[in-house]
Amino acid sequence: MEEGAGEAPGLGRSAASKDFRFYHMDLYDSEDRLQIFPEESTRMRREGVQAEMTHEPMRGGVKGKAQRDLGEEVDELVHLYGLEDDHELGDEFIEENTPRIEVSEYPSYMMMGSEQRDWGLTGEVAQGEDLGFTGWGSAGQCRDLQEAYRYSHGRASEEYECYVIPEEEDEEEAADIFCITCKTPIRASEKDQDEHKQHEVTPLSTALESAKDQIHKNMFKLEKQIIEMENFASHLEEVFITVEENFGRQEQNFESHYNEILETLAQKYEEKIQALGEKKKEKLEALYEQLVNCGENLDTCKELMETIEEMCHEEKVDFIKDAVAMADRLGKFLKTKTDVEISAQPDFEDQTLDFSDVEELMGSINTIPAPSAPVINPQAPNSATGSSVRVCWSLYSDDTVESYQLSYRPVQDGSPGKEQTEFTMTIKETYCSVTNLLPNTQYEFWVTAQNRAGLSPTSERAVYMTAPCPPIIKRKEIRSCEEAALISWESGNLNPVDSYTVELTQAEAPGASGVTESVVGIPTCECLVQLQPRQNYTIYVRALNVGGPSARSEPATVHTTGSYFPLNEHTCHLWLTVSEDGLTVVRSERRGPAGEPVPSDTQFTRCAAVMGNLIPVRGRHYWEVEVDEHLDYTVGVAFEDVPRQEDLGANRLSWCMRHAFASSRHKYEFLHNKMTPDIRITVPPKKIGILLDYENAKLSFFNVDISQHLYTFSCQLHQFVHPCFSLEKPGCLKIHNGISMPKQVTFY
Amino acid sequence: MALKQVSSSKCFGGLQKVFEHDSVELKCKMKFAVYLPPKAETGKCPVLYWLSGLTCTEQNFISKSGYHQAASEHGLVVIAPDTSPRGCNIKGEEDSWDFGTGAGFYVDATEDLWKTNYRMYSYVTKELPQLVNDNFPVDPQRMSIFGHSMGGHGALICALKNPGKYKSVSAFAPLCNPVLCRWGKKAFTGYLGTDQSKWEAYDATCLVKSYPGSQLDILIDQGKEDEFLTDGQLLPDNFIAACTEKKIPVVFRLQEGYDHSYYFIATFIADHIRHHAKYLNA
Repeated sequence: MEEGAGEAPGLGRSAASKDFRFYHMDLYDSEDRLQIFPEESTRMRREGVQAEMTHEPMRGGVKGKAQRDLGEEVDELVHLYGLEDDHELGDEFIEENTPRIEVSEYPSYMMMGSEQRDWGLTGEVAQGEDLGFTGWGSAGQCRDLQEAYRYSHGRASEEYECYVIPEEEDEEEAADIFCITCKTPIRASEKDQDEHKQHEVTPLSTALESAKDQIHKNMFKLEKQIIEMENFASHLEEVFITVEENFGRQEQNFESHYNEILETLAQKYEEKIQALGEKKKEKLEALYEQLVNCGENLDTCKELMETIEEMCHEEKVDFIKDAVAMADRLGKFLKTKTDVEISAQPDFEDQTLDFSDVEELMGSINTIPAPSAPVINPQAPNSATGSSVRVCWSLYSDDTVESYQLSYRPVQDGSPGKEQTEFTMTIKETYCSVTNLLPNTQYEFWVTAQNRAGLSPTSERAVYMTAPCPPIIKRKEIRSCEEAALISWESGNLNPVDSYTVELTQAEAPGASGVTESVVGIPTCECLVQLQPRQNYTIYVRALNVGGPSARSEPATVHTTGSYFPLNEHTCHLWLTVSEDGLTVVRSERRGPAGEPVPSDTQFTRCAAVMGNLIPVRGRHYWEVEVDEHLDYTVGVAFEDVPRQEDLGANRLSWCMRHAFASSRHKYEFLHNKMTPDIRITVPPKKIGILLDYENAKLSFFNVDISQHLYTFSCQLHQFVHPCFSLEKPGCLKIHNGISMPKQVTFY
Repeated sequence: MALKQVSSSKCFGGLQKVFEHDSVELKCKMKFAVYLPPKAETGKCPVLYWLSGLTCTEQNFISKSGYHQAASEHGLVVIAPDTSPRGCNIKGEEDSWDFGTGAGFYVDATEDLWKTNYRMYSYVTKELPQLVNDNFPVDPQRMSIFGHSMGGHGALICALKNPGKYKSVSAFAPLCNPVLCRWGKKAFTGYLGTDQSKWEAYDATCLVKSYPGSQLDILIDQGKEDEFLTDGQLLPDNFIAACTEKKIPVVFRLQEGYDHSYYFIATFIADHIRHHAKYLNA
């Protein structure tokens, strides 16, 4: 910076420091800024320019004079621009909206301004120095450049030119080396002169390069500083506004407080005056009444006196007569005590004036007002867990709050008589995660704010709800086929929840996406999800209420290979038992004790049968049943409402293959509505494959081991059917589920 | 063994053709029908041989059974040969409908009069397959056989005498135990002589008893109102009993109300084609 200034000898620092605002303006785009100048200042500026212009032609011709004139010229210009700058400053002070100008109100401005000036200078000085040094090389060229520069930069450069020119004109001959010690360019011939003899010199071009580098570096620094200062200025502006606002608010606060106190005092005055008046009226009335009574007594006395006097003038006999009566009357009268006590004291009872509330008000002026009631927010979606809720509230921005008191209690609609325990906690923040709550339960929350001045009123009450407990998947009841799975679950919550979400993840396998899909908004505890064939899925269920989703349920796995169905124990004949894995049906040798329980409506009563719960998906379903070749059994499908008191195949609601083994002969029947085709099978199947094909309305039976097709029913399945199994003799059937369909089967 | 095309008609996207050739086995001109499904245009297809019943030519099956749609869908080439040599000028050849012309019984005759020409067994199991394999886009490894009545007998014995050669076999109202029925006795006596032990080599029920047990799925449909069933010509029960004994898989369907005609065949032809397709296209 200093170097830059130093290397531009034409620009005296004094001139620059006064002048800086000019560059400053240039930096901020003088064209635009000019618009806001008052007419006068613009005019003056124009004059300044004109002065310059008239001066210019002289310069080339009269070198000596130019030098001499320079001082005056500079002064003149400084004066001119100084004036303008004053105006500008004045204008700027008026224009308070411009951030840069606000900055000028602060002392730091001067420093910043000067830095900016330096920056502005550097840019031009760099140019100027080019001109200057070149000028030493070739005056003519320099002139051209100057012209060009002036042309493109307008007045700013014109003015600059004034300072540079003298240097240029000073040189009779071009300098070609640079004396480092003196920091001045010299001609090589001068090197040998006394002055520079011992000095270190360098070629002028090298010096030029290093000077340029230095200047560029400085420019960069300055740019950074400008940005910093601008940021600082805008920050200051914010502070300014904030201070203004804060004080304004405090003023309002004071005003309202003093008004309040004055009102209170006025009110007190009114009250006192009124009380005094009443007291006065009361006393005067009492005295007046006493006075009247007194007068009445007086009258009575006077009357008695007169009567007695008259009596004295009467005859003796009359006198005696009357005197006795009079004496009685007088005695009576005298007996009545004359009240001569003054009922009301004339003096003013000592009344203490209570100014404590006023004092309190006065005291509170210096502190802060008690906060107003906070506003409790409604519950944010998905903000609750099974045991916690996140309660949020807000305060009015003017309030100062030291802490909040958050209270809550469970909402119970059932028994209003029983008051629930309330809990209260003190919190610094405007939110709180309240924990240790019961799941899927509504809680009522309210909050008060407090500071030194006291407690706010209570907020409105808001009801928050904890998330539900995770549901429990009924794993044993999962049904699936190649395209879908039917998942059912227990809510896991006593209160109803809003809905359930089923999440399914394809198990990690080559080509599996691993993405979790969700089925949302399930209103019941059951969901049929569409799946891809022959994949493994992990399934979770969540329960949802307004508070949010529950945690995931325990996972269940589904394999979409073949069809999988569990046996429906509600249909199971009393003589049958289903194994733990739900896949083996056993009819034991011995029947149960005589006192068998009465079967329910859903249980088979005639044939010892049980039904499976097949997924209600129209498509192809295949399963196999392992049988003993000497066992009497019936396997097939039936509608859900097949009569329980009839044999399978004995009605239009079931289609079955029945095997009977008698006198070492196998008999195979394919029964529907008690009818069967006449079919003989030479190899008793040990494993029967059953293909249910809704699309083609067919039910086929196969001998799995030898891929033999046994029979195909054509059946109109207007609703969903379920697999059914029956044992006519003791033995067992083993069901094979979730197996892929053999290829031979696909031909049927 | 030049083939001469007699006819060709488009049917269910494929072609129903009839060819004539000079048979080496039978020493006469023989006709046979070929159905080429659409699939045969682009690749080799499995072959299904149909053996017709008494009095039939290659025409009966292709014109009456309505098998084309199923064969087209499953992509099966279906070959239907004639039922006997023709025009061999053998004495007694044309005397009866159940012996001689139209009644070859799919045996290789050993009696002098017939043994030169009546070699229908060798014709349908060797010469014809060779001819078909050489001239049509077929997969020689995948062949099955079925037939009706006498042809049902033929299909069964071809399959049972050549374990593994045919992927599957089925029959409509076959002569299951010809050594015990009048037709069989007459034919076998005529072609094979009076030594009944030789007959057993061409009797399905007898062959089952010595069948080595290679996987063979046999489908048999039988009309319950078939006059020849009640007449004791077909004797399926004997065959079923033998298969039950030997655990050879048979599904025998006694179809209520059906007789011995091609109407019966047409009703269940699709089931049979599918039965074979299941093994041929597996």
